[in-house]
Amino acid sequence: MLKRVLRVLGLVLALTATSGIGAAAAQPSSPPSAAPPAATDGFVPVTDLPPVEQLPAAPLVLGAYAFIWVAVLVYVALLWRRLAAVQKDLDALTHTPPR
Amino acid sequence: MLQRSVPLLLVTTIAAFSVAPFLIHNAPYESTMGLVQKIFYFHAPAGIVMFLSAFVCGISSAIFLFRGRQGADRVAVAAAELTVLLGTIVLATGPLWARKAWGVWWQWDARLTSSLLLWMMFTACLLVRRYGGPGSDKLAAAVAIFGMFNVPFVYVSVNVWRTLHPKTTVVPMLGPGMREPFWFCILAFLSLYVLLLALRVRLAEQQATLDARYLELDDRASA
Repeated sequence: MLKRVLRVLGLVLALTATSGIGAAAAQPSSPPSAAPPAATDGFVPVTDLPPVEQLPAAPLVLGAYAFIWVAVLVYVALLWRRLAAVQKDLDALTHTPPR
Repeated sequence: MLQRSVPLLLVTTIAAFSVAPFLIHNAPYESTMGLVQKIFYFHAPAGIVMFLSAFVCGISSAIFLFRGRQGADRVAVAAAELTVLLGTIVLATGPLWARKAWGVWWQWDARLTSSLLLWMMFTACLLVRRYGGPGSDKLAAAVAIFGMFNVPFVYVSVNVWRTLHPKTTVVPMLGPGMREPFWFCILAFLSLYVLLLALRVRLAEQQATLDARYLELDDRASA
């Protein structure tokens, strides 16, 4: 059983290695380019972009403030619920007659 | 003392968070980022109060660990929860700002990554306490102390490493008109923090009283 598992594992490893070597060999050898790609030359001023590519800020600002309010209110609601539950248990225990 | 100030804190917090949107609305636009920079007025105060909360949690945990004071443990668990809450706010609002300002939601730079690690440490602290079994409170306290020591690294990360995030000099150099709403929001978040801390500590105290009553009843039943 162990021998079979090891054999299958070896086969998988061998196949992976050959496909990796094959892929590396298939890569076209390109001459090293001296100049970096144009995109890294500098930043593009946001005013030069077409209106389609300009991201509106209002939804992001509203989203951020809405998230903060929701997070705080959910925490307060959970805290309130836990406080009420513990208080209820405490009241029930106070009224429990000693056995 | 903390519990008695709850009504006053509640009124202060509601008043502060009612006024804050007007102050933020009237604050001038930042010259390069425009409207999206207004996220700063809640993002940065939440981050600063998160650091404070991590210190409260770490110091309380150290007192609990070395002196064995149960009161300190209750403050520690409350502060750990609030650190996670504030961290969630910081980590959610930051990417919304970054998407517009940097063009990406997230960047694995020093400030963002260390903030995420800080959040994960305090989340781990809560998870250990919740699911760790007997003795996990002490283990969680140790994790919280490590979390506290992570805070200075998060703070200085923007000055030490190259990062997209603004440096710590941004706050002292805020222009007139931006400074006042920012400090007002800091006070609002501080008020909210102390209020939630007081309520969470009260919950921990009531849970401890409940546990003590159950033990008392068990003792009576077995006697």
